[in-house]
Amino acid sequence: MNHDFTAAVKSTTTGAVLEFAGELDADTAPEALEVVQRVKLTHGQQLVVNLAGLTFCDSSGISTLIAARNLAVAAAAGIALVAVPQQLARSLALIGLNGFFPVFPTLEEADEAWAALPED
Amino acid sequence: MCEARDFAALLEDSAEDLYDHAPCGYLSTLLDGVIVKVNATLLGWLGYERDDLVGKRRFAELLTVGGRIYHETHFAPLLRMQGELGGVALELVGADGSRLPVLVTSTVKTGADGAAQLIRTTIFDARDRRAYEQELLHARREADRERDRVQRLTRTLQRSLLPSVLPEVPGMEVAAYYHPASIDQVGGDFYDLFPLAGGTWGFFLGDVSGKGSEAAVVTSLTRYTLRAAAVYDPDPIAVLRHLNTVLNQEYHGTDPRYCTVIHGSLVPDADGFTVTLATGGHPPALLIQADGTAAFLDAPGGQLVGALPDPRFTSVDHHLGPGETLLLYTDGLTEARVKGRTRHTEDQLREFVGTLGPTTAPALISALAGLLAGFGDGVDDDTALLALSIPHAGVDRP
Repeated sequence: MNHDFTAAVKSTTTGAVLEFAGELDADTAPEALEVVQRVKLTHGQQLVVNLAGLTFCDSSGISTLIAARNLAVAAAAGIALVAVPQQLARSLALIGLNGFFPVFPTLEEADEAWAALPED
Repeated sequence: MCEARDFAALLEDSAEDLYDHAPCGYLSTLLDGVIVKVNATLLGWLGYERDDLVGKRRFAELLTVGGRIYHETHFAPLLRMQGELGGVALELVGADGSRLPVLVTSTVKTGADGAAQLIRTTIFDARDRRAYEQELLHARREADRERDRVQRLTRTLQRSLLPSVLPEVPGMEVAAYYHPASIDQVGGDFYDLFPLAGGTWGFFLGDVSGKGSEAAVVTSLTRYTLRAAAVYDPDPIAVLRHLNTVLNQEYHGTDPRYCTVIHGSLVPDADGFTVTLATGGHPPALLIQADGTAAFLDAPGGQLVGALPDPRFTSVDHHLGPGETLLLYTDGLTEARVKGRTRHTEDQLREFVGTLGPTTAPALISALAGLLAGFGDGVDDDTALLALSIPHAGVDRP
């Protein structure tokens, strides 16, 4: 059991920011998923997932990220991962998901990239 | 002034009264244990008159047989050595034979010359405490039984997700290994090897996301879908597509579940088998050549199965010839948390296997089982291994 996991979500002018910190695994994924389900997005917004404080992420954690993406796609919104730890980047590559999530080093860069996209 | 004197008189009086009617038992004995003084509280608990005990009985005679032995072999010698002994749990036997659990504390009183004179003993009623301990013991036994039941159930369920024995494949040696990370939880790793039409075979090995009973449901669905799909169309990529459709229909939205899997087909020929491997986001198979060289048999770009509506699967063909061994593994082996967070990578696995020299399926599996055992508690994910090898010509060929 990892008690040092935290999940939080806050609304922003451009959408929402999800923050996962600590160890995201089979024990903590249900808590993360609950927070994901509280995310409110509308058409044209972006969900940014800040992983700067993430120390570990296993297959259950990756399922949670896919759930967040499914939620964004269903709302016709975008999704971006920020500050992806190396271990997670490696896991994503192993399961063929490199390039599947847009990835940015910082929140600002994720916002700028989103703002630069043409309106549809 | 007058009140104070009355109060002092009350205290004066109560010294003797406190001794006799204190909320604990008091007992004084000579060094040989003969009772010389006892308070009313203890007499009341035991149902004796003062004359029954004083000058007639030894303290040890108030104990149960077991207590008497303990008193003789431990209590009395320790008391003599240390001069005091506290909080010893014993049972006293009352006049009517009833037992009273107590906590006993004794001190040796010495005279001005330092010689031991008598033993003072305080006795606390421990019935409540004993009842509490019995409750605890009962609850613990109940919890132990419950845990055993869960572990039995887990083992049974786990067995239903793995083949009990691998079939014998003519012209091939096969070996498999399964290491559960937890005896309380069903793991998400699976493998199988099974015959298909015309002497061909199908096999797979994979890992379902998550743990526990919900993962077990996905594992079960995956295993049976793969076997059925391979009968319908043995092409490994077609088999993975079929599995993806089934899983993606069942698990999507905010409950995505997926597996990573390698599915393969085996077509026999004159000196071995043509192996086709399709990968769905799974770490690459390891090929150990006849000279012992280890290399990945990779089909890069394959994506996980079940989470995406239209994933990409890739395949690779290889002719598995005499002396060659193919190893499929789950990430319990490569992701083992060795010494905290340091991880064993695929490359380290390849290097380890490369040190073994020429090998066979059974020898490789036994070497890797040894490696896993060395990880000890570092393995926090379950691990499945499946190895296939072709014996050298003239060896074991029917």
